[in-house]
Amino acid sequence: MQRSIAEKVFNVFNIIGFFLFTLLMLIPIMFVVKTSLDISQVGEVQLNLLPKEPSLLFYDMVIHDESVYRPFLNSIIITVLGTSLSMLINSIGAYTLSKRELPGNRFFIYFLVIIPMLFGGGIVPTYLLVRALGLIDHLPVLFIPSAANAWNMILIRNYYWSIPTSLAESARIDGAQEFTVFFKIILPLAKPVLAAIALFTGVGYWNTFMAAVLYIRDSRKYTFPVKLRELIILGGDANKSFEEMLMSMGMDPNEYFLSVEGLSSAMMIVSMIPIILVYPYLQKYFAKGIMVGSIKG
Amino acid sequence: MDSAATTVSYKRNEKKIFNKTNVMLYLMILPPLILYYIFHYIPMPGIMLAFQRYTISGFKYWSGFENFTYIFNTPFFWRAFRNNWVFVAFSYAFITPAPILFALMLNEIRVRWYKKTVQTISTLPNFVTWVVIAGIFMQLLSPTRGYVNYIIEFFGGQSIYFLSKPALFPWLFTFMRIWKGVGYSSIIYLAALAGVDPQLYEAAVIDGAGRLRQTWHVTLPGIRNTIVVLIVLSFSHVLSGLFEPIFVLKNDFIESSAEILDTYIFNLGITRGKYYLATTIGLFKSTISMVLLFFANWLSKRVTEDGRSIL
Repeated sequence: MQRSIAEKVFNVFNIIGFFLFTLLMLIPIMFVVKTSLDISQVGEVQLNLLPKEPSLLFYDMVIHDESVYRPFLNSIIITVLGTSLSMLINSIGAYTLSKRELPGNRFFIYFLVIIPMLFGGGIVPTYLLVRALGLIDHLPVLFIPSAANAWNMILIRNYYWSIPTSLAESARIDGAQEFTVFFKIILPLAKPVLAAIALFTGVGYWNTFMAAVLYIRDSRKYTFPVKLRELIILGGDANKSFEEMLMSMGMDPNEYFLSVEGLSSAMMIVSMIPIILVYPYLQKYFAKGIMVGSIKG
Repeated sequence: MDSAATTVSYKRNEKKIFNKTNVMLYLMILPPLILYYIFHYIPMPGIMLAFQRYTISGFKYWSGFENFTYIFNTPFFWRAFRNNWVFVAFSYAFITPAPILFALMLNEIRVRWYKKTVQTISTLPNFVTWVVIAGIFMQLLSPTRGYVNYIIEFFGGQSIYFLSKPALFPWLFTFMRIWKGVGYSSIIYLAALAGVDPQLYEAAVIDGAGRLRQTWHVTLPGIRNTIVVLIVLSFSHVLSGLFEPIFVLKNDFIESSAEILDTYIFNLGITRGKYYLATTIGLFKSTISMVLLFFANWLSKRVTEDGRSIL
């Protein structure tokens, strides 16, 4: 097919344009990587993408300073427990939703999807409830209230619907109870959708921030993003300054002119690593993930 | 004979709502019901706080619309309200079209591996928390150590403290939102583009249409429905979803253009303990959202091809 000159010019510009766009995405991240690895003197900014004095000092601090690694562990705990609990509850509940002929099915949809979409107590009444329950400063508050998720249940239910009924039917004829049918036949067949939703749920828990800001005061219960924000905004810890953190690492703050930016950069990278690790799998499920937002009861 | 009898008893059993199977199914959905009841339904009556007040001695009394009058006479409330709508305007002006444009341009690239690489890189930031995104940009734009200011000074300019200029904030924030989300938001459009019938392009070429006319007459109509549905769906939550980024990026210098209703509610209610005023604003905000939701629902039935509703 003959292509006009205008089209060729457009193609070239389009390719160059996307190249620049990709650089615009990558360079800021590369600068953060550099800052996290560089312990050269503060004060002079350079455009190099390689560290002048490479060192893993800041990553060492992430691993060894309790005020940093504890939030990291907290994030891991809520990610693991939150994802497991959420998947367990939602995959089982979705089976009930998939029974169209079950009396009360419409009620469940109204109760779980439509009414919460229209009415809600809002931030303050929910906060007051959590406080009344004595859940403030307890890690479960970060994953139990959000464990049941109607959208995910609907997504899983739609997948159950796509499983041929003949399989479950033959098991029932063999005398299997509904429980057995679900755990032995339906659940194993729904693995793809469960894996996809588990990944998205996991990333969500890993990034837990807003709930922690609302319900966590005790710095030992912080999640990793909350700790990171504290370092970025306050330039240190409420209880322990960056200099003290350096000293506990056996460094003399007067000898090394290090800035807290190095530590926060290292934390940013650490926070991104798990996401980059699961990213290839996430990418596989993008299309399904997008449907989370668009499918309705 | 025997089998007929079992069928009959099975049918009789079926008629009872609480037969063994159904009870089992009800038990299976019990945990989500309980969690929703506790964390969504119990706080609902809390909305009544909007019509209540405390005396100094802690005694609660009904105050009618006193809280609303108070809020509507507070300049800070109107500031947050106005800023919220400024961000809505920026959303529809830039953030909604960006992924459409991105998808249209990327669709024109024929080199598979290049397309895939661009997509892989541009989608990643969507999964990174706003705290990290804000951290990256704060470092980049820092007046003392930031690379952007380094370049400005290198060319003889004056260093700018970008994140403390109220007038700049909506633009910077919009840029960050696009930077974070454009790749991910474009996926749905790219999927829609892949679904456009290739025969339509062939027909257009035979009719002598160039690339631009093909885009205008074939591609855009092909994804029109997707665009309309997504825009309509977005109406109901225009006022929410910005708490986290604003909360992380906000500082005292830019509060005048960065404070939104959600962060104002947080400040008033959680930080300063003025529960009833914060709840009043919350109720005001969710009333607007509810009206918008019904509007979106009405619009959705009208504009979508299959007349589907949101509710």
